[in-house]
Amino acid sequence: MIRKNQGYYIKSSDDVLKDLGESGGALTTLMKFLLKSKIVDGVLAVKKGYDIYDAVPVLISDANKLEESAGSLHCGTMNIAKILVEYINASPDLKLAITVKPCEALTIMELGKRGKIDLNYIIMVGVNCGGTFPPISTRNMIQDVIGVKPDDVINEEITQGKFLVETRDHNIKEINIDYLEDSIYGRRSNCRRCEMNIPVSADLGFGNWGVLEDYVGDYSFVEVFTDKGAEILDKAVESGFLKVEKPSKDAIKIRAHVDNSMISLAKDWQSKDFKGTDNDILKIFSHYDGEFNKCIKCMGCRDACPICFCEECTLEVKSPEWINQGEIPPSPLFHLERLIHMVESCTNCGQCEDVCPVDIPLAKIWHQINLRVKDLEYSPGMDEETLVLFDLFKRPE
Amino acid sequence: MKIDLIPTICPYCGCGCGLNLVNVDGEIKGVEPWKRNPVNEGKLCPKGNFSYEFINHKERLKTPLIKENGQFREASWDEALNAIFRELKKIIDEDPDLVAFLSSARCTNEDNYVLQKFARAVIGTNNIDNCAALCHGPTVSGLNLTFGSGAMTNSIKDMEKADCIFIIGSNPLEQHPLIGRRILKAKAKGSKIIVADPRYTPTAKHADLFLPLTPGTDVALLNSMMQVILKEGLEDQDFIRTRTRDFEKLKKVIENYSPDSVEHITGISAAKIENAALIYGEAEKSSIVYCLGITEHIMGMDNVMSLANLTMLTGNIGREGTGLNPLRGQNNVQGVCDMGALPFLYPGYKKYVLDNVRADTEYEWNCGPLNFLPGLQMVEILEAAYDGRMKAMYIMGENPVFSEPETMKVKESLLNLETLIVQDIFLTETAELADFVLPATSWAEKNGTFTNTERRVQLVRKAADPPGQAMEDWRIFCQLAQVMNSSEMFPYRSEEDIFEEIRSITPQYKGITYQRLKADGMYWPCPDEDHPGTPILHGEKFATPHGLGVFKPIELRSLPETPDDDYPLILSTGRIIFHYHNSNMTGKSKILGNEISKSFVEINPKDALKLGVSNQEMVKIITRHGEIETKVKITSKITHGIIFLPIHFLDGKPNLLTNSKVLDPSTKMPELKALAAKIEKI
Repeated sequence: MIRKNQGYYIKSSDDVLKDLGESGGALTTLMKFLLKSKIVDGVLAVKKGYDIYDAVPVLISDANKLEESAGSLHCGTMNIAKILVEYINASPDLKLAITVKPCEALTIMELGKRGKIDLNYIIMVGVNCGGTFPPISTRNMIQDVIGVKPDDVINEEITQGKFLVETRDHNIKEINIDYLEDSIYGRRSNCRRCEMNIPVSADLGFGNWGVLEDYVGDYSFVEVFTDKGAEILDKAVESGFLKVEKPSKDAIKIRAHVDNSMISLAKDWQSKDFKGTDNDILKIFSHYDGEFNKCIKCMGCRDACPICFCEECTLEVKSPEWINQGEIPPSPLFHLERLIHMVESCTNCGQCEDVCPVDIPLAKIWHQINLRVKDLEYSPGMDEETLVLFDLFKRPE
Repeated sequence: MKIDLIPTICPYCGCGCGLNLVNVDGEIKGVEPWKRNPVNEGKLCPKGNFSYEFINHKERLKTPLIKENGQFREASWDEALNAIFRELKKIIDEDPDLVAFLSSARCTNEDNYVLQKFARAVIGTNNIDNCAALCHGPTVSGLNLTFGSGAMTNSIKDMEKADCIFIIGSNPLEQHPLIGRRILKAKAKGSKIIVADPRYTPTAKHADLFLPLTPGTDVALLNSMMQVILKEGLEDQDFIRTRTRDFEKLKKVIENYSPDSVEHITGISAAKIENAALIYGEAEKSSIVYCLGITEHIMGMDNVMSLANLTMLTGNIGREGTGLNPLRGQNNVQGVCDMGALPFLYPGYKKYVLDNVRADTEYEWNCGPLNFLPGLQMVEILEAAYDGRMKAMYIMGENPVFSEPETMKVKESLLNLETLIVQDIFLTETAELADFVLPATSWAEKNGTFTNTERRVQLVRKAADPPGQAMEDWRIFCQLAQVMNSSEMFPYRSEEDIFEEIRSITPQYKGITYQRLKADGMYWPCPDEDHPGTPILHGEKFATPHGLGVFKPIELRSLPETPDDDYPLILSTGRIIFHYHNSNMTGKSKILGNEISKSFVEINPKDALKLGVSNQEMVKIITRHGEIETKVKITSKITHGIIFLPIHFLDGKPNLLTNSKVLDPSTKMPELKALAAKIEKI
């Protein structure tokens, strides 16, 4: 009997997926079970595009096609919640299982609370995440620092603070992530500051932290966060898709240890990144005046932000004429207005900064401001019950 | 439910940014970042972000149209193509050179290659040109004479490595935003930015040194900077000795351009000129970025060659972080030229006046003798139509009624033709005048390749089916060739088949295959399938026949029109970030239109005061060639005595004010950046 708030070793019984997937293919096998048993109509996940640096969102409804989503891609930097809310929401009756990183789980939860999506139709299968890598900078790093042609890399992995690449001729090369991050390379800056390594707002959380000794490679450590998560995992085990074992106390301890050390590293990055700015929200905002001055009003940050909620965007409204139209840069009010609309729900997913054509450190700014919002004891996306901070945007009746 | 993200290339400027089109159940619903593309890493400008909005627009052409008694009626492809054949046949029988083609910098390499092959091998004429004539034509000619190759010398990313970036006649943060990004990144790393422009543009705002240049005086500024560089001993003597020739000729000319003497000509203080020369000359790696502020003058080619002189003088070429970088306008204006959609050149810039070039091509194409008579250039084609020396025109994806100088005359010229065929995605101002309109596919509905400003060839992928009966441009020519009994020369089943032929006869593309392009694309020249491509040109030697760069002594020529008592202002034209050219595509985007959709003229507060006009007031702009009405926008960002008109808007057509009679003799470039004008109250 699988129970909420417990951890399990889970292994796939599927011979094909076992080899294709990460850590024994348990997650992909669970997805296969969910599709085959018609618990969901589709699986929203990520597949490899042109190469391992090219992560592409994919909606799969045929269980036989799940293979393409097996395995992890550390250059998977998108927030899948955006695809969900922007394109799939048009079919609201679709029951979906979604593979989510912690920031994606927070975002989907937050969207549910804001009434943008119906969480009853969604199963969030979470994965632990120690951070993602920007595709092009990572290719440059593999070329310049590791000295391997990026096109010759067939697999990459992150383990114990190291970035590993496997080349076509099966050579493995590794490099210390701390060393990379002292230079211009490494994880995205929002990921470095992120304390959410375990997707606690998902239904289940998969990962290899705490998978020890003989279990390595075959088993995933799965934490169950909700009753819904417990129920589906139970069914998948009962139906023979997955096998379950109890992890040792050591395993649980080690998993918590990995998580804690990642959190403390993130906190270090936060103090590094936020140094030199005041703790007052408006002062933080005005500290970055020079950065906002570069803005070319591409609307990319608005469009990439999955939290955006207005039916008619206030940034497009012509009157009152408080944001100058037809010229750049727009007045800082453009960003201030976005702040008002999203910052309490900001999950530090980094999309705004990723798409910014003039490299304004948006995620950093919003993250710092969001931490001040958290001082008001609201943490976005952690659970379904706590109302959004200012209680303005309740779910419609 | 089905959802697909299709990686492809933005249809607007020459940056060539990658993006994902999102197809939901068969329809394009949006753009999502494609972070794997090395040009832009998932980042886009406003045009790119909303590039999907016009694809499903209700005004898309869906079926061929034939004009009867002044009215269009719908027709089948069979009927339209047969009728076009009959019309063209009559004219070809008389003289194939009575037919002219305009190719399109918006279309793929494959489309353009097939067009020029059709024109040359089926129709039998070299009358083929494209909008580069009105854009970087002077770059192609000017750099050919100095460097031997008319393309951007370095890559976009490479700009980040420059210690100094000298931007002249270019506003990349608005016009090529993802190149603007690299410049800002270079600045953040400590690079010095110099901007010369009559307007204090959003790019100029980020400059360390801003030079408020009077339009048309570029040569004076550049000669003067070179004088300072020589005086200070900042020239690269080694480079000059081993890599160039005719330096002495240059030296003699620049003697007469001291900063003091050009101060009043250029509007820039001698101290600033000296400072600019020192920053550019002293930097280890200096890069030049320029655009149409340099080329769209009747002395555009002079300006380009002056810039080439400056780079060679300081040895700032052939290395990382240096170079002379013309930013190409359209998504595929580099490609349309590479494909030989030019009046004097075959694909790969091969000179067909040479008998062996024609003989080789006849063999490759398996066709009869090819016409050796030089083709007419864009402006000449229209002039010939006006005089009745041209009888038919076939225009693919171009809108000369809006974009060529002297709108009324262009209209008359086109109406004077016996047959006008226009192939486009919307019923443009030009298409309205046509006898036949053929519906083509948009960028979102086709496969193929675009070549961006840095010579990077990239895959364009079909993301949705076209509306109605719209067809790929290349396929339309293949079908027409079939009707004209020449189908054996056009055996293509796919875009890749065409590309295979392109690379077999275009030396720069020889080593490039669709399989090799993948997510990164490849830089030409790429001579063989093991070659990685060439991000930086002129490393060991120049592309001239003797391998040396050639200094060209240039004297400042005066503008055809200078301000006088009757026309006291200088009118300059250009783009703004939210729209593209004649806004046939961006004008159909809700969000871009919401930003701005109406014409305006920028005026300095001093001039506004003198004229007694206020912000938002409607005024008349009058030149010697015509007049328009538009709204005043008073801004201190434009130099006193100069006014600026964006080229995008139907309610303020800039080409009602321009002149097609005075042209640069060799490149046929009209004056588009400095016309004498006055403003009158209404």
